[in-house]
Amino acid sequence: MNRTISGALLAVLAAALVLLPFWANSGLVFLAGTTMVVAVFALSWNLLFGYAGLASFGSGGLFSIGAYTMAVTLRGGYEGQFLLLIALSTAIGGAVAFAIGVVALRRSTGIFLAILTLALAELLRITLAKIHWLGAEDGIPSIVRPKASIGVATVDLAQGNHYYWFLCVACALLVALCWWIAHGRFGRTLRTIRLDTERAAFMGVDTHRYRLVAFTISGAIAACAGSLFAPWAQIVTPDIGNMMRSTQPILFTLLGGASSFWGPMIGAFLFSAIEFSTRTLVGIQEIITGGILLGVVLLFPTGVAGAWNALVARLADPYRAEAKAKATTLRPVKE
Amino acid sequence: MFTLVNGLTTGMAVFLVAAGLTLVFGIMRILNFAHGAFFMIGAYVASSLVGSAPRSVLALVAAAVVAALVVGVLGIVVQRFVLRRIQHVDEHYMLIATFAVMLVCVGFVKLVWGLEFLSVDPPPGIDTGVDIFGLFVPSFSLFIIGSGIVVFLVLDFVIHRAWAGKMITAIARDGWMAELLGINVPAGIMAAVGGSFALAGLAGGLLLPNQTLSPALGDTFLLLAFITVVIGGLGNVRGAFIAAILLGLIDGLNTMFLPAYPGVAVYVGMVAFLLMWPNGILGESRL
Repeated sequence: MNRTISGALLAVLAAALVLLPFWANSGLVFLAGTTMVVAVFALSWNLLFGYAGLASFGSGGLFSIGAYTMAVTLRGGYEGQFLLLIALSTAIGGAVAFAIGVVALRRSTGIFLAILTLALAELLRITLAKIHWLGAEDGIPSIVRPKASIGVATVDLAQGNHYYWFLCVACALLVALCWWIAHGRFGRTLRTIRLDTERAAFMGVDTHRYRLVAFTISGAIAACAGSLFAPWAQIVTPDIGNMMRSTQPILFTLLGGASSFWGPMIGAFLFSAIEFSTRTLVGIQEIITGGILLGVVLLFPTGVAGAWNALVARLADPYRAEAKAKATTLRPVKE
Repeated sequence: MFTLVNGLTTGMAVFLVAAGLTLVFGIMRILNFAHGAFFMIGAYVASSLVGSAPRSVLALVAAAVVAALVVGVLGIVVQRFVLRRIQHVDEHYMLIATFAVMLVCVGFVKLVWGLEFLSVDPPPGIDTGVDIFGLFVPSFSLFIIGSGIVVFLVLDFVIHRAWAGKMITAIARDGWMAELLGINVPAGIMAAVGGSFALAGLAGGLLLPNQTLSPALGDTFLLLAFITVVIGGLGNVRGAFIAAILLGLIDGLNTMFLPAYPGVAVYVGMVAFLLMWPNGILGESRL
């Protein structure tokens, strides 16, 4: 029952997204494309947080590494190999994440990792703003949307809404990849580590290695999202990886629900909808956004996805839902 | 020498902001993302009181004290409705809740004071420079350094010597036991948190001159204050003081040797510090 309702809802939403250019104006289409990219970005962050229990506050840095790699290589005239460029950006993001992970995860405690990643991302942003070759503060403008060739067929992504549909496909593939990672053996092992690191280690799991791999994968997907974003926005600036960018996936994930795979994506779309509907109200926008977040954290700590699951379960089986709700309410983690 | 003065000024400015942040952590184990926003509210409140050209040093200090009171009261409200309820949940939820508080504060500032940039001149008396051993030092720098040292000494005395500080330390170490001994724990926490927030407001007022006021003011100081607090050891005021001086000096050297890349050395230094002393120079402390 639960699964059917959620599945149907997902299908309707996906169809609405794909058909969006036929009935919405270009501003809304742009917003939808951006939201898809940041939704994937949030999903990559939650692979780390929801599954490995590591909170990075510098994921914006990896996003901007992906975006800059794409922008620079497109400017360099390699637009013929668009798909290869995405792979390259992903690989660079993964490599950087791996290097950071090797150093940082040795002593990973929550706040330590959070501040360290925050500082690294900020360092990257400041450095990017000073490099003239990368356009310094102004970034790299007028990025072309290239042609993508898959085997025999070639699609010109610069035309009309082609890049939007390309984003739909790419994001769907990335979501599928994340789903596969999260629900496979690897994801389950990560959950074991998050729930009880000591016990997992006792059972013979190399916890450090698993966390490092999760950190790398998450970074690679974040960079991939960034590389998709560069031709969509057609401009990259150092602010693409600022502190707000790094906190974006955190907000989305907690708003949507960290314990659910779809939580970050639900959060991303909800957040965009709120921002879009309050965009003309200076100041009130932040108050509403902040108020909603506060409400969610204080009242529904399992996020929108958690609240939705509880609601559906309650409709299906009120008695069992009651017991389950008691088990998942906000409770102290330590004395 | 000039570097030294400049660095110390930056360091003390950051310490003024970081002091409240580290105190809130020491008392409630909450790393408060909204601290920068409260600092900003303090600055705006003070600027509304003194206008763009304060008449005297006294007027500026008085405005800072009023700002401290206002922000302190706000802090108590936030503590009552938000912080207290998230104290014992997973630390990531604390971060998100305080981040939400920050958003609300920024929105509030935009609503009340608008988006324009405001600036305030240093008041007469500290708007020129003084000559120390043939070195020209802006007297406003001396004012900030002095304020930083005074605030540190007062805090250190209160925490380590005065009765109130011992009571708060007892509450932070073991609230249950403190309550058993007849200490009014909720009132103590409320007073301490109010005081910490008041420090943010005070900092906002004192650092007001030579500052461009905009709704993004909180962010710049927040990050530096975070770094200071983490390097000094969370919840450790002495550590924060030392870390702030160190960071200020690193930043001063940065502007001297690498003027094209301002702010880079602070982050590099921070990463190095964190890797060498993950728990801060003086270690984590429950006050």
